[in-house]
Amino acid sequence: MGLLAQQLFNGLAVGSVYALFAIGFALILARMGILNVAHGTFATWGALSSFWLVVQGGLNFWVAAVLGVVFAGLLGVLAEVFAFGPLRKRNAGSFAPIIASIGIWIVLLNVAEAFIGPTTKSFPIDVVPSTPMEIGGIVMLPAHILIVATLIFVVTAVHLLLSRSRFGAAVRAVSVDSRSAAIVGVNPRWTLLVVAFMAAGIAGIAGLLSGLADNNVSFGLGEALLLKGFAAVVVGGYGDIRGAAAVGVTIGVLEVLSSQYISSDFRDAITFGILLLVLVTRPQGLFRERQLVRA
Amino acid sequence: MSTTAWITTLQFAGVNALFALSVYASLWTGVLSLAPIFFGAVGAFTFGYLSAALGLPPFLGLVLGVVIGAGLGVLTAGIVIRLSSHYLAMATIAMVLIGRVLIINLPDYTGGAAGTLVPGELGTWLWLIGCLAIAGFVLSRLAGSRFGFAADAVREDPAVAQTLGISTRHIQLVGFILSGAFAGAAGVMQASFLQYIGPDTFYTHLGFVTLAAVVLGGAFHWAGPIVGALVFTILPELLRDVMGDYDRVVTGVLLVAIIIYMPRGLVDLRRFRLFRHRSRGEAPPGASASRDSANQEVVS
Repeated sequence: MGLLAQQLFNGLAVGSVYALFAIGFALILARMGILNVAHGTFATWGALSSFWLVVQGGLNFWVAAVLGVVFAGLLGVLAEVFAFGPLRKRNAGSFAPIIASIGIWIVLLNVAEAFIGPTTKSFPIDVVPSTPMEIGGIVMLPAHILIVATLIFVVTAVHLLLSRSRFGAAVRAVSVDSRSAAIVGVNPRWTLLVVAFMAAGIAGIAGLLSGLADNNVSFGLGEALLLKGFAAVVVGGYGDIRGAAAVGVTIGVLEVLSSQYISSDFRDAITFGILLLVLVTRPQGLFRERQLVRA
Repeated sequence: MSTTAWITTLQFAGVNALFALSVYASLWTGVLSLAPIFFGAVGAFTFGYLSAALGLPPFLGLVLGVVIGAGLGVLTAGIVIRLSSHYLAMATIAMVLIGRVLIINLPDYTGGAAGTLVPGELGTWLWLIGCLAIAGFVLSRLAGSRFGFAADAVREDPAVAQTLGISTRHIQLVGFILSGAFAGAAGVMQASFLQYIGPDTFYTHLGFVTLAAVVLGGAFHWAGPIVGALVFTILPELLRDVMGDYDRVVTGVLLVAIIIYMPRGLVDLRRFRLFRHRSRGEAPPGASASRDSANQEVVS
């Protein structure tokens, strides 16, 4: 029982990182209509830049974390300004942004590898909180508690922002029809820039926390997140970020439990098997959103 | 670059071109699919297993790769063709992800995580150029056929194609079969050149790079993917002397620039024929491939 509870908590922590990543990925997919292959590299850069600021810049970990997340967000803004924005202006259809995101992915992945080198790095032990705590018989790392708390905060904040605020209404209006939104006084350009910043920034948080969870920072960090986040978004449906987040957490729990009780080789099989099954049988995701389709 | 390095680079460019033609074959019918990577993996690992277990002659291995690829194309089409464009693309990405899981979990047949060695008899110029020539010939003959015109119509606008009496499913099924056959051959050729295949040989990286090569070269003529794959493989090698570790940055930037400013790619016959002025006032041509999905918008 103690082992099960411990593994459930570990799974919750692993899954919360997937869920965080999935939120940003779903935001870009639902609100900007882009299947963003480069989203994993935003996460990588969130982790890399904080790591660099701590190790080379000697900054306090929390300051470096905030700066790293802002940096990841700015990368998202740059992608929007130089690639997705011009494509939207040219009315380039829905495949073109995928290709552009592959270009961005190539650039950011390559620079990341050249920047940090091919080996895996770790945060110095003394700068990050790392003393384990025991609560109710479950050993919890501070990083894991931080991850779960961040997920709860981000899901609540983003959901309230999108569903209750004027800005959220503007985002929804722009994602339905940016021209009509402009007519009623929404600035589509600014709205999408803010969405891009938020989505990439959340990816940066996910990347940073993923690096913190097992204290491994490498240039390929975001790629693993991309695949799991992708699965979470497709299975959960991308209209409502709560669905994607719930499935992200579930994937993490399933992974940890299946490597504990079945075999560690098997854990990806479950995730991606569910992914294909849901795509074929229920492509709008488990928590589907009402869709309006223009002929 | 030394001569041997040049030869190796050109060989990989050739194999990538074959994969690119495979992606092109389904893109021609309006389907964005990464399934060729999965087909290639199955072809390559079957080839590896059978040549080790049964001592299969290499040529039969290649034929088998083509047949298996085409068969998988039919199966895949049967499962995913009814999905709309974004979901279809995602389903094929999911296939690539599952392919790696299968390879790792079937160590008796694939060598598992350690991968497996394969014979390299097919890894010669003759076989490579032969395969490319056959693929190019098939596509160029099809381009002027009834199928070619129907495929163009389905890609431009499936709804209009249907009103013209074209079965979009049927056309896309043929696209998947062609795609599977080319990818099966490409997988076997890739395995022969590398002489080693592992779970990461056919994965998302190859998929994204292949897709990028198709768009870079031009997805509206069969020569486009070949040119794209050549440029995309050779350019980073040439730049390595100048840029060092940052050799691939240029390809990434180039890709973004091409998709924005030349959406039809490097090989664009319409531009060559100066037909461009005719399309004044219309949406850029690259847009039309998926007009249906562009119109699907989400309301919460």
